[in-house]
Amino acid sequence: MNILLKVQSLNYSVENVEIFGRHQDEKIILSNISFNLEQGKILGIAGESGGGKTTLAKIIAGVIPKTSGYLSFNFSNEWDKVKSSPVQILFQNSGEIINPYRTINEVIEEAIFIRFKDKNIINKEKENIFNSLNFSQSLWNRKGYELSGGEQQRAALARILAVKPELLILDEPFSAQDTESQLNLLNLFKSINEKFNISMICIAHNLKILKKLCDNIIIMYRGKIVEEGLTEEIFSSPKHPYTKYLLKAENYDLSYEDLKMDFN
Amino acid sequence: MFNVDIGDLRIKNNKILLEDIKFDLGKNKVFTILGANGSGKTTLLKSLTGLLDKRFYSVSGKVIFEGKNLFELDQEELRQLRKDKIKYLFQDAINSFDHLKSFGYYFNLLVKDKTEIDSLLEYFFLPNSKELFKLYPYEVSGGMAQRINFVLTLLTHPKLLFLDEPTSGIDLAISNLFLLKLKDFVNESNNAALLVTHDLVFANKVSDKIAFLSDGKLTEFYTSEEFFKIKDYSKLEKFLNSHNQLTS
Repeated sequence: MNILLKVQSLNYSVENVEIFGRHQDEKIILSNISFNLEQGKILGIAGESGGGKTTLAKIIAGVIPKTSGYLSFNFSNEWDKVKSSPVQILFQNSGEIINPYRTINEVIEEAIFIRFKDKNIINKEKENIFNSLNFSQSLWNRKGYELSGGEQQRAALARILAVKPELLILDEPFSAQDTESQLNLLNLFKSINEKFNISMICIAHNLKILKKLCDNIIIMYRGKIVEEGLTEEIFSSPKHPYTKYLLKAENYDLSYEDLKMDFN
Repeated sequence: MFNVDIGDLRIKNNKILLEDIKFDLGKNKVFTILGANGSGKTTLLKSLTGLLDKRFYSVSGKVIFEGKNLFELDQEELRQLRKDKIKYLFQDAINSFDHLKSFGYYFNLLVKDKTEIDSLLEYFFLPNSKELFKLYPYEVSGGMAQRINFVLTLLTHPKLLFLDEPTSGIDLAISNLFLLKLKDFVNESNNAALLVTHDLVFANKVSDKIAFLSDGKLTEFYTSEEFFKIKDYSKLEKFLNSHNQLTS
């Protein structure tokens, strides 16, 4: 199997700083993170907020630098990183990244233009992307502000697919959506994974959705990986108490005593 | 006697948004209205105490609380009611606070004894009053703001609590905590709660009665057991199906 991403003993911490005149101690955000992501696979990262999931995603995408450790990619294609990055993130508030005053058509064509200059190829590529996102032609010439939240999210996905990334990171894509939209989105990610052969990392606090989407799952607690394994294994025989806690929490079955537990 | 009677509620802006809405809220119970995004859940909650902007919405019908029709009260009387008897908890707690006022400002408005405040803060895993009062809203996380808001709400000892998507955008741990406290709240001193959500699992665990809102109409309230067996509404069946597909 081809390993697309290898992470070894990755650490991230914030140094002693003064913010608004207040002293902030050194804080360890991520500690000793190691895992591999195979090409074409979908990896889920679960855990509560404040656990360091988004920080990890940002380091992988190169948005922020790591403090120490090792991070390596094995991309299939040559990438000119000045033009676009092979690692893309779909952020939580994806609607906000779509320019409200430009048509989606323009935005996507411009992004495809980085790779292809031929008008016919651009059109073909564009149709292919829009079709696989169920983005109907009547929406193509709408401007960002004329789209609903769900449509904006798909427009943001289209913009990402236009640069044909090799790794797509989804940061809490399901939060604040109702079940029907969650289900649609889930099927969409699966088909993108297959059709465009894009490896994915999906961050979510909801383990149940990850069960439907991911091949492997990592459970994070306060900056550390506490459990990792095949999705079926995590669900059929969770080992770490925190994993069991999360599964219970999803069913809203935690007692007040459970809530007071510290897993470190 | 505690009873909220909502009759023939109808909300319009350019078109009719909600129609023929009728229900009663009895004491010691959690009532839940389930519905998809955009079905009008928040609009319905806001309409009950005259919170919808009259320039854009027209609301007719009646809401009887403690023998008075709320739609016949003036703004000042409604404001007073929302101050102590009927409380709202909205989704975006952080935006309910003025970012230039520390939390102490809000707690001092209530002039409660410190012991009650501190025991509630401790229950919600928050810093004690001495520390919390010095903090500003921009210094806390969204989940913390939600909990602070809940504490402030409970300190006023309302009779009726309206909650808008209490589990959306917050941690599972905090959602679990809210569930436990909400159950306590309705069991104490004849209170009731009405919440709107699309979170089926939460609704099932917290509610005594559930109704479904779609296409501007509200079903009657069923017990949780009955509710999940309903087959009469195709929209509800679809809603339950997608949930089953997600969680099976």
